[in-house]
Amino acid sequence: MKNKTLLIRILISLLGIALIASCGSQGSNNGALGGDAAAQVYVAPGEQDEFYAFISGGFSGQLTVHGLPSCRLLKTIPVFSVDGEKGYGFNEETKPLLNTSHGFIPWDDSHHPELSQTNGETDGRWVFINGNNTPRVARVDLSLFETVEIIELPNSGGNHSSPFTTMNTEYVVAGTRFGVPVPQKDQSIKNYASKFKGALSFIKVDPESGEMSLAFQVLMPAFDYDLAHAGKGKSHGWMFFSSYNTEESHTLLEVNASQNDKDFIAAVNWKKAEEFLAQGKAHKMPARYAHNLFDEKTQTATSTIMTEVNVLLPEECPGLVYFMPTPKSPHGVDVNPTGEYIVGSGKLSANLTAHSFTNMLDAIENEKFDGDAYGIPILNFDDTVAGVVESGGLGPLHTEFDDRGNAYTSFFITSEVVKWEVGTWEVLDRAPSYYSIGHLMVPGGDSQKPEGKYLVAMNKITKDRFLPTGPEVAQSAQLYDISGDKMKLLYDFPTMGEPHYAQGISAGRIIPNSKKIFRLEDNEHPHAIKNEAESKVVRNGNTVRVYMTSIRSHFAPDNIEGIRVGDEVYFHITNLEQDYDVPHGFSVMGAQNAELLIMPGQTETLLWKPLYEGVYPFYCTDFCSALHQEMQGYVRVSPKGSNTPITWNVGG
Amino acid sequence: MRKKPTIIMLTAALLLLLLFTVPLWKITLSAPQYPDGLKMYLNIDGISDGGTGDLKNINIMNHYVGMKEIDQEDFKEFEIIPLIVIGLVLSGIIFALLKKRSLILLWIVIFALLGIIGLYVFYQWEYEYGHNLDPKAAIKVPGAAYQPPLLGKKEILNFIAGSYPHIGAYLILISMSLAAYSWYLLKENK
Amino acid sequence: MKLANYLLIGILASLIIGCSGSESDSNGKQAAVNANDPMLSKGIGPISSIKLDPKIDQTMANKGKEIYELKCTACHKLDEKFIGPPPIGIFERRSPEWIMNMILNPEEMIAKDPTAVKLLAEYNFAPMANQNLTEEEARAILEYFRTL
Repeated sequence: MKNKTLLIRILISLLGIALIASCGSQGSNNGALGGDAAAQVYVAPGEQDEFYAFISGGFSGQLTVHGLPSCRLLKTIPVFSVDGEKGYGFNEETKPLLNTSHGFIPWDDSHHPELSQTNGETDGRWVFINGNNTPRVARVDLSLFETVEIIELPNSGGNHSSPFTTMNTEYVVAGTRFGVPVPQKDQSIKNYASKFKGALSFIKVDPESGEMSLAFQVLMPAFDYDLAHAGKGKSHGWMFFSSYNTEESHTLLEVNASQNDKDFIAAVNWKKAEEFLAQGKAHKMPARYAHNLFDEKTQTATSTIMTEVNVLLPEECPGLVYFMPTPKSPHGVDVNPTGEYIVGSGKLSANLTAHSFTNMLDAIENEKFDGDAYGIPILNFDDTVAGVVESGGLGPLHTEFDDRGNAYTSFFITSEVVKWEVGTWEVLDRAPSYYSIGHLMVPGGDSQKPEGKYLVAMNKITKDRFLPTGPEVAQSAQLYDISGDKMKLLYDFPTMGEPHYAQGISAGRIIPNSKKIFRLEDNEHPHAIKNEAESKVVRNGNTVRVYMTSIRSHFAPDNIEGIRVGDEVYFHITNLEQDYDVPHGFSVMGAQNAELLIMPGQTETLLWKPLYEGVYPFYCTDFCSALHQEMQGYVRVSPKGSNTPITWNVGG
Repeated sequence: MRKKPTIIMLTAALLLLLLFTVPLWKITLSAPQYPDGLKMYLNIDGISDGGTGDLKNINIMNHYVGMKEIDQEDFKEFEIIPLIVIGLVLSGIIFALLKKRSLILLWIVIFALLGIIGLYVFYQWEYEYGHNLDPKAAIKVPGAAYQPPLLGKKEILNFIAGSYPHIGAYLILISMSLAAYSWYLLKENK
Repeated sequence: MKLANYLLIGILASLIIGCSGSESDSNGKQAAVNANDPMLSKGIGPISSIKLDPKIDQTMANKGKEIYELKCTACHKLDEKFIGPPPIGIFERRSPEWIMNMILNPEEMIAKDPTAVKLLAEYNFAPMANQNLTEEEARAILEYFRTL
């Protein structure tokens, strides 16, 4: 008897201790992290990070490069928005990159970076990113970390489910979020359901050069196509698009597009599409879209307006598209590394739905359809579903995978990351995010070879995570260690714009290809000069071209006379340096655009239109040497019609 | 056995042909801003940087202190040295076939003398570059000279200059040793 | 012996209460009595009890109308479901304290109050926005709702 009482007392005491412990940990939020978390993100001075992370700049329109695990910002790559710092979109060489069928556009909303893949693995050659507002896809070359190509998408509005790639980067896709009249025309918005369409674009990528071309579009009903992911392994050849607003509402979507219990994941068989194209099933539709390409040799971009697009209509191409019903307004559609499971995250539900690719093929083969939508067969939910993750959270958005058979899903409403096991659908762990996580990223987490060491949570709300900076605060991201059974929060870091998605890759796959300089002998810029002796100033009517060189620590020429008010002066500046990390900047007083930031061996051009007579200084903006402050010059501007002769010199 | 000294001497002579492909000497400049260092190579027919662009960067650095630009055109030596090497190769082959000890000794002595002259010329260049400074240089350090070391390391302003023999110099030593061995074998065979 | 057991259980119980107390907002008082009956529940937040004068304070109600029109009408229509539910008839569904707590402390309400949680799901997870009103302003809106 005595022993029993004692046992009970011990048990009660233990329970009490457990309560105190759990109480304490709840109260302390996440503040009481061990010193080992600090050590895990500490990259000592002079050391380099293990991974690159490419994080979308959201409404900044750009792409940021961070190192993991330190989370340090390494570079902001301008993509869809002009950037005065680099002269991007301001200098003559990059202006054509931002051309569209609507003319020059200085801004966009960049959402999802996606690395190129070979054999289902990230290969570190290019990173693609979508522009959402004026629908476009850009390609960033990872030997330069610069935007080298932008292609516009016709028949689209809001390029959101983009630019996800296939296993060998055969295609990057671009599904439209907003239905639009196809072709665009004056149309009553009330006719949305009958007259509007949603295009899914397939952009072919040249395996050598990376050059993009719009191969074909599948013209779908005007649902809102949200995200996408390619099949891989056994499901290679298919592309899966999530959709919402299958109600086809055109007003107050927050209510009206949330009525159906299930929306669709559209499964597109792109290999079949290639057959239909070969059979001549495509309609050649007139369209206007820009294709802009930067040539590394001439260091100049050109913009070409394209006028036609191949369109496939699902009702004419049996077997091209199937719908898989998925609860409720699925956001992420994510394919596990084997390619068997297609996971839909119904953002207005608690649970995740995993469809089985094998089940899907089986249902298609046996024609087990539950009717059709606009001629597209709808599969039975019960036939395709392989498992449901009873998450215990709310608002699942997006799932990535590790290399140990686990999946990680972000939950916006309950603000957490939930780890679960593929196949058993059991929840293994959950960790809070601060606050309201959108997307998450595991390096290689949407490829066949994830590197499941870290996870980055990209949050939608920041509130009190950093020092206050007025009403507008930076975006917040969090780094977790996912190598163990339990996820461990390591670090908070601010990001730019609103990061929608990110990609990560082992640094070793990028470092060997990263260029240090442009070789002068390879510079084929039409206005390049290769040595100071060639520097000159040439007038042709009102156009004056200054052929200038820069090298530590002077410009040649640095005294220019004979410019007149009303002239259009092009400064073509070649940086003669051939040493790593010796850029020269160039800025001239009164320039209405920006500076130039010229890398070694590169030529860039600034257009300057002086408004008033006077003598204006120009100087190097990038501290280049001990005599950087001496790196300057003058340009004399005479009144309109004056006959001051064109002269130039340096040191004479 | 009679063939061995001949073959060794022939090897000694022919080995020198490799001097046309590898540098004799290497000069390095390192500083915190240049973690990989700037490198410059002396070949028998000229100065090179192995395509790294370092020579240009060395000249950019040098111009701040008024050093003369290193320009291959300024060195007539590079027209003569290849001829000397060819002369050594040809005479070496002939002496090897003649199998005369005294001729081989003569070859070694001439070779060694040329080597010493070469090092002296090299020192002269270094002195000239290090001391003949433009009076209008941007950075003037009173009493400073920028002569790199003939052999070893030396601090020059923010740089550490290193000057060391490269593959070619070692080839020369091997060639000389082989010739000496050939000379020794011929003595034994008598 | 028995006394010791009771003591231990007592400590344990106080721990449980203390623990759950610390979960709610520090300025919030738990009024979870009958949380499942919306008419009796006072919700979670700073308002624990209000006395409503049988006579409506028209000045306060006018002020409340002004605030409602400025800060609430983007999501609420008086007599129909919109982004959120209509205020007409609200006194037949909720206690006055609950209404004020929902206005003043919506984040905690939609996370913890069973009625608010249900409401959130019913309205497609469109969360009640915190418009950062003072208690006085919320009270004025309540008074305005009484006139509807």
